[in-house]
Amino acid sequence: MKTNIVVITTAVLFLGTAAFRPFQQDPWPVPDKYVKMANPVKADAESIANGKELWAKHCQSCHGKSGKGDGPKAAQLKTQPEDFNKPDFYNQTDGALFYKTSEGRKDMPSFKKKIPDQEDIWSVINYIRSMRK
Amino acid sequence: MKTRKKIRTALLQPAFCLLVLLVCSARSFSQDADTANVEEPEATVARKAKPVKNTFESIWLIDNQTVMVPVKKSFEMDIMHRFGTLKTGYQDFYGFFAPSNIRLGFSYVPIDRLLIGTAITKANMTWEGYAKYAILKQTKGQYPVSVTYLVDMAWDTRTRDNFIHSSDRLLYFHQLMIARKLSPKLSIQIAPSLSHQNVVNGYYKTTGTVGDSSYKATVEGEMKHEHFAIAVSARYKIKATMSLLFGYDQPLTKHPAGNPNPNLSIGIEFTTSSHAFQLFFTNYYYITPQRNNLFNKNNPVTINSFNDITLHKENFLIGFNITRLWNY
Repeated sequence: MKTNIVVITTAVLFLGTAAFRPFQQDPWPVPDKYVKMANPVKADAESIANGKELWAKHCQSCHGKSGKGDGPKAAQLKTQPEDFNKPDFYNQTDGALFYKTSEGRKDMPSFKKKIPDQEDIWSVINYIRSMRK
Repeated sequence: MKTRKKIRTALLQPAFCLLVLLVCSARSFSQDADTANVEEPEATVARKAKPVKNTFESIWLIDNQTVMVPVKKSFEMDIMHRFGTLKTGYQDFYGFFAPSNIRLGFSYVPIDRLLIGTAITKANMTWEGYAKYAILKQTKGQYPVSVTYLVDMAWDTRTRDNFIHSSDRLLYFHQLMIARKLSPKLSIQIAPSLSHQNVVNGYYKTTGTVGDSSYKATVEGEMKHEHFAIAVSARYKIKATMSLLFGYDQPLTKHPAGNPNPNLSIGIEFTTSSHAFQLFFTNYYYITPQRNNLFNKNNPVTINSFNDITLHKENFLIGFNITRLWNY
């Protein structure tokens, strides 16, 4: 009887944890045109400062202060935000990141309208790259 | 007794001004609209001088509108709240439990640079219709400041027994906002304004002695119909999403009676991707801009001399503004 209780409790806890754990990222295909697209904005101090400001306003609440996916709103999402410090993320091209930021998917909103100036989105990408340095 | 001025001029005035401004800036508008419609990113983005961004974080800075007009197709909802003054202290918990004033506002940006909106405020059940047009945007090497024009019509919708004529319900407001982002942290705005009230309270003005042939009694208005004022606002960023706010409104017109008081306000602002939240102390209670400028009874400070300045803490009240933006 005691063993059964332990087994059932363990199973419930495991299923409960699994059920509430955010889903991991599905593959996110990026059109070739964007993968090959070069970042037209030089990653100078002005661009990085602009990107930092936009990051704090639009991205930090989910992606966290240093891009680890640990922002205060991350726990409410169905999909766990990627850790920007891992190779899966930083090996992507700037163009791929531009596409994902502009278009969005599921929990990740589209920023085409919130950040209407394309140069600003490129600046956010420059800032994201600068966080690893 | 009340005196009344014809409504026609006041109705046509804002519409004409807005039309002139729209025509004057049609060229720059068409250029911006072209760039706003670009759907796909291009391989090369030309780096040319662009208007500075985020001179302010919201269309509001405590009691005044700012030069900011959100991007085209933005819809905004504003919830604004003013509690009672601190006068009675703990008895009404420093104004929190005193009768408060609330404004619900809705605005939309149908074309680049133009915002149109409507709002209802609890004080005098006032409905507003307003429009704001960004004439100039501060751009390095081109324009040192941003300039935006605001026109607002307020309609007092209390019961009919409060008015003799329907036009007595109307108040107008024009404001030219001139702002400069001095540094990434500090922005300042100076905004002269004109408020117009269609009706004012009257009084008998007498000259000479009663019974004498020189004796004359005429009806004069306690206040003038037009009232000029100037507002100074500032924003200083402490962090990327947190700022200190400051505002001062100085009446310029001197009325025979019922002169409004200046307004001093100080607060803090928090912003996110779609929200701005401002919490502050202010003297203005009415929220509707023309009513604030014309009828503010809360005097912030008395200055008798350089060494004799009294701050009237009891005339301040706590307020907050919440704005929410959607893009369509």
